[in-house]
Amino acid sequence: MQYALRIGGRTRQVVLRRAGQGWHVTVDGSSFDVHAAVVDGARLSLVVGDGAGAGRSVPAVVVPGREADALDVAVNGTTVAVQVASPERSRRRGGAAGDDTGPQRITAPMPGKVVRVLVAPGDTVAAKQGLVVVEAMKMENELRATRPGRVTTVAVAEGQSVDAGAVLAVVE
Amino acid sequence: MPVTKVLIANRGEIAVRVIRACRDMGIATVAVYSECDRTARHVRMADEAYPIGPNPPRESYLRIDALIAVARASGADAVHPGYGFLAENEDFAAACRDAGLTFIGPSPEVIEQMGSKTAARQAAMAAGMPVVPGTTTPLGADVPDAEVRRIAESIGYPLMLKAVSGGGGKGMRVVNGPEDLSGALRAARSEAGSAFGDSAVYLERRLLRPRHIEVQLLADHHGTVIPFVERECSIQRRHQKVIEESPSLAVSPDLRRRLTSAAASVAARVGYTNAGTIECLLDEDGSFYFLEMNTRLQVEHPVTEMVSGVDLVQWQIRIARGERLTIDPEAALTPRAHAIECRIYAEDPDNQFLPSPGRILRLQAPQGPGVRDDSGATEGLAVPIFYDPMISKLIAWADDRPQAIARMRRALREYEVHGIKTTIPFFRWALDDADFLAGRFDTAFIDRTLAERGGAPFDQPAADDETLAAIAAALHLALGGGTAPAVGVTPAVSAWRQQARVEALR
Repeated sequence: MQYALRIGGRTRQVVLRRAGQGWHVTVDGSSFDVHAAVVDGARLSLVVGDGAGAGRSVPAVVVPGREADALDVAVNGTTVAVQVASPERSRRRGGAAGDDTGPQRITAPMPGKVVRVLVAPGDTVAAKQGLVVVEAMKMENELRATRPGRVTTVAVAEGQSVDAGAVLAVVE
Repeated sequence: MPVTKVLIANRGEIAVRVIRACRDMGIATVAVYSECDRTARHVRMADEAYPIGPNPPRESYLRIDALIAVARASGADAVHPGYGFLAENEDFAAACRDAGLTFIGPSPEVIEQMGSKTAARQAAMAAGMPVVPGTTTPLGADVPDAEVRRIAESIGYPLMLKAVSGGGGKGMRVVNGPEDLSGALRAARSEAGSAFGDSAVYLERRLLRPRHIEVQLLADHHGTVIPFVERECSIQRRHQKVIEESPSLAVSPDLRRRLTSAAASVAARVGYTNAGTIECLLDEDGSFYFLEMNTRLQVEHPVTEMVSGVDLVQWQIRIARGERLTIDPEAALTPRAHAIECRIYAEDPDNQFLPSPGRILRLQAPQGPGVRDDSGATEGLAVPIFYDPMISKLIAWADDRPQAIARMRRALREYEVHGIKTTIPFFRWALDDADFLAGRFDTAFIDRTLAERGGAPFDQPAADDETLAAIAAALHLALGGGTAPAVGVTPAVSAWRQQARVEALR
């Protein structure tokens, strides 16, 4: 079995082959002997061998990520976002590459109330500059531009309630 | 005053904490819940549970009439307010008293007096405790900017502008110079007005590198006030405490004696009863100043419990019953351990600490020696968007600070929370910081260090972790994850996820 997994902006080719009680795994050409046991719906226990008989115990938790075909994999106390890239999917998504260009749509990450609008259409903004302050979960959250640009749209007014995902402002 | 059945006018971890204390004492418990909290942990744990209204706090947990009605209907004879919501609301304490219920807290008169930051400053001065130089009377909305500016000049910049009825960092602004004053005044008044229904503010001189130190007190109805070993709460993000510990590295036994006796004098002076906390600023030269009094149980009370061996919630109930304090005052001021607490929030530290509500898909709290997890969360349930996003308080203790920190690191590593983002990666980073380990910090430490990091991610997997994650993901898929019900991600998990998405979009 072979999987193309996108992790941290890089695609890893993972090949699994049954080997006795466990698996022979290669990740981009590096080999590992792994014994895998399913603990429950999300938990796996891996014992990763170094080929010399020693085994490193690696508990892993795998839950669905925010996007389709995404997994959040917790290992070693850190969570790694994994995108499962099948061949068909990578073709279909071919045209949508290049997240770093085009307009930035600043959206509300959760439902809340707009308490302050800090910019107006036409304003030039720097990266990380605050655009809109939304109050939710008892806290005021300043939503910022990710890159420098010019504000083309401010879609909300102070005092307005917004749903999660609502566009607050657009910066080009 | 009888306390045989307690209504807990709160939710989340503090409701759970109070239920546990009641159960330890053989006291019956009554929970209340808003619509989204029907299946919450505090509801399932209590002996009885009653609905009090829709999700927004104003329509449920802040409804004094609804809470009193539940107390009557359930036959409760006492009310514990927890912290937040109505815990420092004198009208609620008075409504309980008028309804013949024992309010497990101080009198409405003291809550009102200490709730006004300016009246509290006057009380501290009268008791001989120094206060930070500043205004002693409130500056209402009718005080013109020019007048505020004149007062500001007389105190001297930099200044702190604070809400008279404030708390939790709301309605608080730093004013570095005259040019900041008008904007800060407008923002603080607006925030204070909407958060506390009172837009009055006051000015205090801003100490340059202060520590936030506080003194927990218990006071009975017979004139005894017991102060405890101080808590160090300087590790704050945007004026909200995130790590607390006890004792403080900055407090010598001599300073402890002076600080705690000054705090006890303030409580005695105002006729304080039950549990309360005097918050202070400790300047670099060792001078301390009264900041405010919290007339309730604090979020961080477990730190004191682990250092003193005293159950503060049980004592709140015993004091409310009219019992005399029997705690040895010397023992209360002698640390028998070092304890540290991390407040675990449903926030994404790698996205400006924005709230990360949603369903908790997997939850496994740490266990073992020297570890305590005070949580209101449950695997499978959502963190609601309507309330404070704190899901748990993790407390670790040991003989000394380095061992307590080591235990906290171990516990953070054991803590599994999946489905939502939490501040756990942030704590892992903070607990490795050289200045934190050396105790070299002040209240601006976290905000300053975060700015220096320039947004570098806390949850930064090493190359080795990425390889292991790739192996785990591939094996998860190969063993049927995401498709076969027997192994991997079961359809039930996917359904939770789906529901979480639907709720997030609502």
